[in-house]
Amino acid sequence: MTSSQQVLLSPAELSYLHSSLSLTPPIRPDGRSPTQYRPLSAETGILPGTNGSARICFADGTEAIVGVKAEVEKTKRKWDDDAVYTENSHNDDEEQQQDGRGEASNGNGNSDWVELTVEIPGYRDDDPSTVFLAQMLSEALLADGGFIKKLRINRRFHWKLYLDILLISPPLSYPLPLLSLTTHLALLATRLPRLKSEGDEDPFFDDDWAAAPYLYSRNPTTKRIAERPPVTLLVMAVGGNIIFDPSKEELAVADVALAVSIGDATTSQRSQGEDDRMDVDSGNSGGRNLKLLSIRTVDPPSRLTPPGVANAANSAYGHAQVVNTGANQKMPEARQTESEAVEGVWKPPRGGAKAIVMGALVQKVLVRGGVADEVLDALEGVDTS
Amino acid sequence: MPLDTSTYSLALLRVDGRRWNELRRIHAQIRTQAAADGSSYLEMGHTKVMCVVTGPSEPGPRRGGAGGTGGGGGVGAGGQSKDAEVVVNIVIAGFSSVDRKRRGRGDKRTLEMQSTLANTLAATLHTHLFPHSQINISLHVLSQDGSLLAALINAATLACVDAGIPMTDYVTACTAGSTSTYAANDEGADPLLDLNHQEEQELPGLTVATLGDSDKVVALVCESRVQISRLEGMLAVGVDGCKQVREILDQVIKAQGQKMILDGTVDKGTGLNDMDLD
Amino acid sequence: MADRRRINGPPGSTIPPVFEDDAGQPEIMNGKGRDRAPNTIRKMFLKTGVTPSASGSAYLEFEDSGKSGVSGLKLSCTVHGPRSLPRSSPFSPHIVLSAHIKYAPFATKQRRGYLRDPSERDLGTHLETALRGAIIADRWPKSGVDIIISIIEGDQDRETSKSQGDETWDMMNALSGCITVASAALADAGIDCVDTVAGGVAALVQDAGEDSTPRIVVDPIPSDHEKVLGACCIAYLPTRDEVTNLWFKGDLPASDAGLYTQLVENGMQASRNANRVLVECLGEATS
Repeated sequence: MTSSQQVLLSPAELSYLHSSLSLTPPIRPDGRSPTQYRPLSAETGILPGTNGSARICFADGTEAIVGVKAEVEKTKRKWDDDAVYTENSHNDDEEQQQDGRGEASNGNGNSDWVELTVEIPGYRDDDPSTVFLAQMLSEALLADGGFIKKLRINRRFHWKLYLDILLISPPLSYPLPLLSLTTHLALLATRLPRLKSEGDEDPFFDDDWAAAPYLYSRNPTTKRIAERPPVTLLVMAVGGNIIFDPSKEELAVADVALAVSIGDATTSQRSQGEDDRMDVDSGNSGGRNLKLLSIRTVDPPSRLTPPGVANAANSAYGHAQVVNTGANQKMPEARQTESEAVEGVWKPPRGGAKAIVMGALVQKVLVRGGVADEVLDALEGVDTS
Repeated sequence: MPLDTSTYSLALLRVDGRRWNELRRIHAQIRTQAAADGSSYLEMGHTKVMCVVTGPSEPGPRRGGAGGTGGGGGVGAGGQSKDAEVVVNIVIAGFSSVDRKRRGRGDKRTLEMQSTLANTLAATLHTHLFPHSQINISLHVLSQDGSLLAALINAATLACVDAGIPMTDYVTACTAGSTSTYAANDEGADPLLDLNHQEEQELPGLTVATLGDSDKVVALVCESRVQISRLEGMLAVGVDGCKQVREILDQVIKAQGQKMILDGTVDKGTGLNDMDLD
Repeated sequence: MADRRRINGPPGSTIPPVFEDDAGQPEIMNGKGRDRAPNTIRKMFLKTGVTPSASGSAYLEFEDSGKSGVSGLKLSCTVHGPRSLPRSSPFSPHIVLSAHIKYAPFATKQRRGYLRDPSERDLGTHLETALRGAIIADRWPKSGVDIIISIIEGDQDRETSKSQGDETWDMMNALSGCITVASAALADAGIDCVDTVAGGVAALVQDAGEDSTPRIVVDPIPSDHEKVLGACCIAYLPTRDEVTNLWFKGDLPASDAGLYTQLVENGMQASRNANRVLVECLGEATS
C-alpha cells in the first residue's frame, strides 16, 4: 500500500478516465486544465506556541497543518576533529585547525539537525508510505546545504528544527503536494530568537519575539523574501499528456508519476555569474531561475487496479475461453491476447516508462514561467509575516 | 516549577486570574473541513483540538496490527457486529506542548484516552442504527494546556453532531480539581473548575463527562490521589461545569444551523426524518 | 525505547582509531581517487540459488577496490512465494509484493539496530516501485510474494578519517545493488517478469584539486571524490528501454537541462552493464 489507498473504480471507469485524460487537450474529471493546481486557501502563524506554522486547505477539502519548533542543541564534535592529536602542537595548532577544517565540517552542518515527521490519520508512522513522504520532503530540504547552514549558531551549538506535518483530513488524494506547500509556508513563517551572545560562548537570546529574525530572511526595504524553501510538485503522464497535481482518481490511471522537488536559485551566490548570463540571453521572459533538487518515482496505483476483460475473451458472451491458465501461459497466442490492448478495455500499465517521457515531465516542471513559477508566485502572495 | 498555591487563600484567585468556578474561554466551530462527514475545532483556553469524523461507513480493510482498531481505540466488533464500531484515533502533534515531545502511536496514555473516548461515544451514539459499519473519529491536538481529555470529548461531540450521527444527547466534559495537594491535607480546600496545565501538574483533579442537561455521568477519570471527602465537591463542580460547556456547545451548533438555514444549505440533515429514531 | 529482547552492542559509532603515520598518511591520500574509467562500473559477482529453503535467492558482491579496509557491497536476497495471501486479507487481482531491506547491524560504520529505521523502509519502497514495473502481476491473483534483502556489508571506507555525511549517497549504491539482486532472485523463483531489471547509479562529482570541473561518473564511491553534487539511481529494463524507478538527489541548476539528461543516460548505461552480468548469471544457472 504505497502511494495510494485502494481506488474503488471499476475497469470500465478506469478505461473511460484514461481515454479522456489521453485526449488533446485532456479532459480532467474536475474540469481543470492540465497544469492547473487545485485552488487553495492558506494561512500562516496559526499556532503561537511554535516557531512557525501554516495551514493549507485545498478546494477538495484536504487540509494540512505544519508546525515548526526549534531547540538549541549542542553540536556533536565530529570525531575526526579531535582525532588528530599530536603531543607538542596541541594548543597552537588547535586554533588554526578549527578555523580551517573545523569551519568546513561544522559550517556545513549535519542532516540530523532537521527532524521531519509526517502524521497521516489511519496510517502508522512507520508505514512505508508515511516514511516515503517524510523522506521525500526532507530530502528536498537538505538537498542543497544552504538550509542546514542557517541552523548553525556557533561552533558549539546549533538549532535543531522539528517539522511536524499533520494531515488533518482523511487522505482523499495523494497528499504530497499539499504537505509540501504547507511545509514551504511554515518554513517561510519560521522565526528564530535573535542571538545576543557572540562567538562561541553559550548562546543566549533576545526575549523580544518581535525582534526575532526570520529563518528565511527578508529584504529590509522591499520585504521580499530573498530565498525560498523548496517545493515538491507531483506530476504524472498519461497517454501523451502531462498532468500536474493529479487527484486520486487521475493517479489511478497514470502511466508514470514523478515527485519533483525544485528550489529557487535566484539568489544563490554560487551561480551568481551564471544568473547574469542567463538573464542576458533569456531576456525578460520572466520567471525564476529554478534548480532541480530531487526526483522520485511515485509508484502509480494504476499497477494495482483490476484489469478489464474484453468481450472476445469473456465466456459470458458465448465466446470460448481458455479455462486452464496453465495452458494459457504456454500458448503464445494466448499470451498475445493477454498483452494486446483492446479499445475500451482497461489494462493496468506494465513495465516502466521511457526515459524520454520522464525527461519531458522534468522539463515541464522546470520550464521558466511554468507551473513551478505559478505555484511559487501564488505562495508568495500568502502573507507570512 | 511548582505551582504557587499559597496566594490562593488571600485573593481567591487562581494563577491565571480565574475564580474557583470559572471556565476558561471556550471557542468552538463546526464544519471546519469540507471533505469530512463531520468536523469541529475547539479551544478551551490554550488547549486546541481538531476533530474529523468519517462515517458511518463500510469498515475499511484491516491493516496488519494497528489499522482496524486505530491503535486500540476501537469499540464493538465492526464488520460482523450489529452495532457500528467506533474507532478513535488521537494524534498529539509534536509541537503541541512547550517542549517538543514526540509521542508515537503506541503511547500508552494516548491509547488510554482513545479507548476512554471510544467507550464514551459508543454508549451515546446510536450505533445500533448502523450495523456492519464503522465510525472513524480522528482527533488532532494542536496545542495543549490542561483538560486535554475534556477538550477531546467536547470536540468529538461537536463533530458527531456535524456528521449527523444520531446520539442520545450532548456528551460534554470538564475537569475539576482541588485547591491544595493531597499531601497538604488541607480541610478547607476549595474545589476548582477547568484546570489548566500548571494546575493539572500540581493539584489533584478529575475529568467528568455528563450526558446533556441531566446529571448522568458517562465518563469519569481520576488519575491522582485525592482525599475521599473532597471528591464529592469536585464531582459536583465538574458536573456543573459540564452543563455550562453544554450551553456553549449548544449555542455553537444553533448558530451554525441558523447560518445554514440562511444560506439555504440544509439538505444535509433531511434524511434524518425518515430514519428510525428509537 | 530500549530493546530489551536482545543483547545490544554499544550505542553510537565504534570506529577504530586511525593513527598518524609518517609513511601511512600519504599512502592513504594517494589511495584516494577513482582508478576506473568514468563509464565503467565495478566488477560484480552474482549467483542465484544460494538459499535452498527459499523459492528464489541470489547473492551479489561488488569488487573491492583493492585498498585495504575498503570492502565492496555484499547483498543477499531471498524470495518467498508466490504463496496464497492470508485468509484475513482482502481480495487482490494481482500479486502483492512486499520488499524488506535490512542492513546487518555490522554493515556500516555506524551500527544499525535490529529494527528497520526510516532509511531502510524508504529503500524498501523504492525497491517495490522498481520491481512492480517489472513483474507481470496479474498472472498471480490472490497471492503474495516477500522479497527480503539483507545488506551484509555496505561499501564504506573504513580508513577514511572524515565522516563526510556521505551516507545519503551510499544509499543510492545500495539501492542499485538491491534492485539487481532482487531481480535475479525473482527470476530464480520463477516469477514472470517483462524483463530483467537492473539498477545503475550515475553521479556528478567534483574531485579534489584546484581547478577540477564537475564530471559525471557511473557507480561512484563517494569517498573517492571530494564532493558529490548530485546522483541518480535508475532501475532500467533494457529490452523494453523503459525505466521503472528513478531517484535523483542533488542540486542541479535548471538552466543546464543537459546535465540531468546526461546523468540519466549514464545511469541507464550503468544499469545496462549490470544487466549483462545478471543475464549471464541467469544463463549459467539454467544451463
